Amino acid sequence: MFSIEHGVDGKVVVAGRLDAAQAAAAQTFLDGVDGTVTLECSGLEYISSAGLGVLLKTQKRLLAADGKLRLAGLKPHIVDIFTYSGFDQLFEIVAA
Amino acid sequence: MSEVVRQRPLSRRDLEAILDVTKGLAAPFDLTTMLGAVVGAAKQVLHAERGSVWLYDAPNGELVLEVATGIKPVRVPWQSGLVGACARSRVIINVPDCYADPRFDPSVDKASGYRTRCMLTLPLVDHQDVLVGVMQVLNKIGGTFDRDDEALATALAAQCAVALQRVRMTDALIEGEKMRKALEMAREVQMSTLPAAMPAVPSYDIAALFHPAELTGGDTYDVALIDQGLLLVLGDATGHGIAPALSVTQMQAMLRMAFRLGADLEQAFAQVNDRLADTLAEDRFITAFIGLLDPQVHRLRFHSGGQAPILVYRAATGSFERYKPTSFPLGAMRLAALRPPVALDLLPGDILVLVSDGVYEQENVRGEAFGEARVCDTVLANAGKRMAELQAALLASVRGFSGDAAQEDDMTAVLVKRLAPTVERAFARSFDQIAPLVTFTAETFDRLGIDPLLLPTVDLAVEELFTNMVKYGGGSDAAVRVGIAAIDGGVELTLVDRDVEAFDVTRAPDVDIGQPIDEREPGGLGLHLIRRMADSVEYRYAKDTRESLITLRITSAGVARRRAAAKGGTHNVFD
Repeated sequence: MFSIEHGVDGKVVVAGRLDAAQAAAAQTFLDGVDGTVTLECSGLEYISSAGLGVLLKTQKRLLAADGKLRLAGLKPHIVDIFTYSGFDQLFEIVAA
Repeated sequence: MSEVVRQRPLSRRDLEAILDVTKGLAAPFDLTTMLGAVVGAAKQVLHAERGSVWLYDAPNGELVLEVATGIKPVRVPWQSGLVGACARSRVIINVPDCYADPRFDPSVDKASGYRTRCMLTLPLVDHQDVLVGVMQVLNKIGGTFDRDDEALATALAAQCAVALQRVRMTDALIEGEKMRKALEMAREVQMSTLPAAMPAVPSYDIAALFHPAELTGGDTYDVALIDQGLLLVLGDATGHGIAPALSVTQMQAMLRMAFRLGADLEQAFAQVNDRLADTLAEDRFITAFIGLLDPQVHRLRFHSGGQAPILVYRAATGSFERYKPTSFPLGAMRLAALRPPVALDLLPGDILVLVSDGVYEQENVRGEAFGEARVCDTVLANAGKRMAELQAALLASVRGFSGDAAQEDDMTAVLVKRLAPTVERAFARSFDQIAPLVTFTAETFDRLGIDPLLLPTVDLAVEELFTNMVKYGGGSDAAVRVGIAAIDGGVELTLVDRDVEAFDVTRAPDVDIGQPIDEREPGGLGLHLIRRMADSVEYRYAKDTRESLITLRITSAGVARRRAAAKGGTHNVFD
């Protein structure tokens, strides 16, 4: 189960499992956001390299237009994946 | 040496005579011929009736009379008599009347019936100032030896010493080479009977270690699936050298033959024992473990002829059972009666540990033995790992312990572990199988009682590998098989991909995670992550079935360790 939608305060809320099967849907959604966007991740249970690829592509596009993705509320095991992949160096990660 | 004698210059005729005889010294390559040539030369140049050469046997501190016509070889302490005096002083001794000289030993004359009148005793010293021996020249024809003879003899002795030393050293080399060749051959025979690979036995992980000593020892092992079950053998023949290497090989061949002819464990053990008792030398025997494991019901039955201790690691309690031999060593004597074999059941995680004396008895530089406790410690510390890893750990542990101490004996081990049951399911190559995969892992974790905290890591690994297989399967339409087994403190995951090209996931390049964001691409990240999140990743490829087998092991302890060790990046794109 995976969901991505607009929440309050301009945040984007992701939840569930962002895997290879869901990557395309997530990409389509994120292609439609602009500026500095906070991704509310406290409901994100799982992410694989396919999901990381979606975030990377979005981050590059937003940075080029002086925006960025900000990731909030990552669960510890998701933080592990960001650390092992070096993605903690590519995103601003904040507490929920 | 040449300074000792105030010699007159040698005449041209003398020189020619010496050169003439010493030419003959260049040819012989064996000691007997060379000694004959030396004595012949001395007799000819010095006009003597007889000659003899005592060779210096430095290790034994003796002088050995190798050649003297009509006299058997004699050994004397190197300080004794005229030869001893000469060997010690390295000075020529000229005795014109032997029976008037107290140093003369008349016993040789008595034994031969020959009467020695006068005698020259000469030290044989080579170019390196090494004492090779002592030459004696007896009874100058028509008189006694004079100063000229002494000078001539001294010049000749130098030539003889060098020639003799050359032959002795060549001999030693040849002997050493012969021995080395023979050992090598015995070693080859011994090694050729060892199984080339461990048989694949469902529910079992088997590894063997064979680390031969430099000179041949007498270990062997055998692991083979035969009609009677899984045959497990560990043998160690007494002694070192060629005989033990060959006799264990013989035992192994006899065992295989007995089982092929339909023998059961008792018959095979008794028959091989009796055959060996009849054929082995009186003082030789072979300690051996001979077991049959039924891999369906996991029952092991074995006999041990003097092979001990036999260890069984019990996973449930983390402790060891220790078994004694059921009989005396094989071949020691014929068997009158045989006790029943030991029978035991292996449960999941249990390990049969067969280790030869060479491991237990390997000493360190202080002369302490590696011992059973260290074997147990190593097994305990690696019980959750694959047996190939335990085997490597055992060898590393023995080596670390022994340090610079020499390996005196073959080190052999056979390790047999019963694996936890694997739950396996096949998944079609399609992204829409990711959801059923996730359901499968969750259900299996629950069923096998695996720590649910490991689930996200396992899901990531499964998805990344499965996704790669879907993407790069190269048109294979074979399903991907995913297996999950509980291991000590964690989970073992296997993915089998059939009808594909080899792609070693353990060798895929790492991602440079320090790259600036503009240069980073998502490719390769999956394998990069897996290698960091799993305790171990193994890849095997079977050419015949074009099958890729990936095995991952992930433990709670490993995840905690890596989490603690992982530091966040040193910089951030927003710093």
